[in-house]
Amino acid sequence: MASGNDSILDMYLYETNTLLEQLDGIVLAAEQADTFSQDDVNEIFRIMHTIKGSSAMMEFNSMMTVAHRTEDMFFIIREKTMEAVPEQLRPELFDVMFQAIDFFRSEVEKVENGNPLSESIDTFVSKINSLMDKIQGGQGDAPAADAPEAPPEPAAQEDAGAPAAAMPKDPAYRYGLQVRFDEGCGMESLRAFMLTTAVRDSVVDFQFSPEDVETDSSTSDIIAEQGFFLWFRSAEERDGSIPAVTNAGSVREYEPVSLPAPAAPAAQEAPAAAQPPKKEEPKAPAAPPPAKSAGQPQQHAKESLISVNLSKLDQLMAVVSEIVITEAMVTASPDLKGLKLDLFTKSARDLRKLTDELQDVSMSLRMVPVSGTFQKMNRIVRDMSKKLGKRARLTLVGEDTEVDKTIVDSIGDPIMHIVRNSMDHGIESDEADRIARGKDPVGEIILSARHTGSEVIIEIHDDGGGVDCDAVLAKAIRQGLAYPDQDYSQKEILNFLMMPGFSTNTEVTEFSGRGVGMDVVKKNVEDVGGTVSISSDFGKGMTTTLKIPLTMAIMDGMEVSVGDSIFTIPINNIRSSTKVTAGEVIYDPARGEMMKFMDNFYPIIRAKNFFQLNGGCDEIEDGILIWVEAGEHSYCLFVDELLGEQQVVVKPLPGLVNTYNIKNYGISGCTILGDGNISIILDVANLFSAVQGRN
Amino acid sequence: MSDENMLFITEDQLALNAIEDTAEVQTTKYLIFVSDELMFGLDANNVVEIITDHTITHLPMVPDYISGIINLRGQIIPILDIRLRMGKMPCEDCSIIVIDVDGTQAGILVDSVAKMVDVPQENILPMPSQNAQKLISGMCSLPEGGTMLVLDCDLLLHG
Repeated sequence: MASGNDSILDMYLYETNTLLEQLDGIVLAAEQADTFSQDDVNEIFRIMHTIKGSSAMMEFNSMMTVAHRTEDMFFIIREKTMEAVPEQLRPELFDVMFQAIDFFRSEVEKVENGNPLSESIDTFVSKINSLMDKIQGGQGDAPAADAPEAPPEPAAQEDAGAPAAAMPKDPAYRYGLQVRFDEGCGMESLRAFMLTTAVRDSVVDFQFSPEDVETDSSTSDIIAEQGFFLWFRSAEERDGSIPAVTNAGSVREYEPVSLPAPAAPAAQEAPAAAQPPKKEEPKAPAAPPPAKSAGQPQQHAKESLISVNLSKLDQLMAVVSEIVITEAMVTASPDLKGLKLDLFTKSARDLRKLTDELQDVSMSLRMVPVSGTFQKMNRIVRDMSKKLGKRARLTLVGEDTEVDKTIVDSIGDPIMHIVRNSMDHGIESDEADRIARGKDPVGEIILSARHTGSEVIIEIHDDGGGVDCDAVLAKAIRQGLAYPDQDYSQKEILNFLMMPGFSTNTEVTEFSGRGVGMDVVKKNVEDVGGTVSISSDFGKGMTTTLKIPLTMAIMDGMEVSVGDSIFTIPINNIRSSTKVTAGEVIYDPARGEMMKFMDNFYPIIRAKNFFQLNGGCDEIEDGILIWVEAGEHSYCLFVDELLGEQQVVVKPLPGLVNTYNIKNYGISGCTILGDGNISIILDVANLFSAVQGRN
Repeated sequence: MSDENMLFITEDQLALNAIEDTAEVQTTKYLIFVSDELMFGLDANNVVEIITDHTITHLPMVPDYISGIINLRGQIIPILDIRLRMGKMPCEDCSIIVIDVDGTQAGILVDSVAKMVDVPQENILPMPSQNAQKLISGMCSLPEGGTMLVLDCDLLLHG
């Protein structure tokens, strides 16, 4: 059913998603203020109109209908201002808006997944309709406002599209109705004449143009081109005629047009573009008259932005990476050894500078602010605080921090899990508890993002009850994750929270409690090369920290060799490297080797033994120890030789190789060296876990 | 209306195609390579190129029939040793055939590459069922003598 090609569909999805996000933001802010400002109303109207139009074009009828009804509702609100909506109706209005947004989202998702759209939208549409009725009923005392058709002050309007020829003979009949018939229906003049007869049943006194429709069939062309005009003395009479016009056959659309009142000749023109021709629908309220405020509220800065398919950016990134490598290959070519080439060196330096710049620019293309992801949490906090009956607010800090697009996409779910956890388990259910602890009765969740050099740090802090370590430990023992006779530090106990299948909530709720929360968070974050840590202050709240590398594409690495193999260790993980003698190595009872650095003992892992390599040093004096650290793990890696530091472009391992789960053995990817050889990138944390798992 | 027409057209075309098929024998091009004195055929549509003298970077922690990865003009491609995959001893001096199956590229280590052949589709016979070799999808006798075993690339990469 999705007619049209993929690129149109892509555009549609992109546009609709952007609009929905915008809408979500507006409605959330409006709910806080408990009213829609006139700008909001205009904006919502515009968004609904766009969604309606594009959905109609894509033949997504369910979305079109809902957007249409919502648009109608906001049309009324726009005309009557927010004052018309009584206080007690407002929560319902916001709820309906959120439901509408959710509806659109779910439909868009269905479109994305190629599923059929929902057919049964009647209940939702009738919900909007009943709300619309209530809004209108709420101010029945206003005389002219008892029908949605009620036109606004017509004096200020003039349909710019109405041709001068289509004027009433008598200027007193200044309330016009422009009727258009179905295109190509034929015999327009006759249809127009029948229309006048029908209208005469309800309104006696009116004029129409062209006048000689009954006798002159050549007027058909004029009507087909310009439409048929009915002119009335008053707006009330015009409104009275609308049912007759609606019921007449072949009427495609109608549109009220009004001439300026003689007293106000200098009427301003409503922008014609803002006045969408409205599809006729029998039970729909009449077409919106051109509203003076309907123009685009402000010129958006969108003109200077273009949307690019992410795969093209990926491609660009790949090419740039190749250029960086090739540049290194050319300038460091072994053929140049011993030659003194001043000009070449100078050009090479320039080239280097340019490729660096190119790399920076192409990386920055992929950087997007985290605000989009953060804003979505507003909605979750709002929904959950309603459902759980806990009052809470969300404070966003540093939402304009930019990170790589792929990372933004992959941290949305983890953050959502954590925010839900905070709302569900963190914030106290009883406000009295909060007051007793000297806290603000309204809970607070702070979501912050900031850069530190090569990482972005995202913190989710709540001022709830914090983690009850004893309860967690007891549960961990029950689950068989911990041993009863062992002592655990607070940090270790908190780490139990991130083990698969662990959930402290005794009840499974709609939001969390299935025990698939934090371990999924941990996995998702680790997939993009990040780490998760939890800190908690019992009674005061907890903080979850996600540390994620800014980009995964390019990093600084140390090349080391073991036998014939070359490995790259991320520079960030390296604390120091040192040559040691056999005497300095300390052994534990199981012949495990350890090394003492700065008053601490660290285990030694021999890369050769771990990876079962053929070549490489066995004597500790021949190789070198690298002291590495990642997250909570710190240890020494024994390798043959340090080859040097290099900026490397991270390449994922081929899918075929990935099926063997070598990521869990500390191999995170590979990179191509200046001489064309491949180096394997080590993941320091996973390597350690793998060694531990083996013991 | 238009749907019905469409239906007729496709049916007509199908019938037409069927006639053409019988008139012209459909053949498939195979690239024949030798591994441990057996002749294997690879569907030529899957073959990207044949390369020699490439340094293979050994990968730890993978089954031994994955010899490692190579850098083919910036692309990282895994290399499968067909001998080890079939449970035989590895060979010393080999060529790599780079294949592409639905966008997944991989290299196969073989003893040597022999030639291309055109084989009529109906000449390809199924393997005897008691044969447990899962990577072979069929076999066929070649006119100039010898028997070609058709290697199933899909099974090789995903099986």
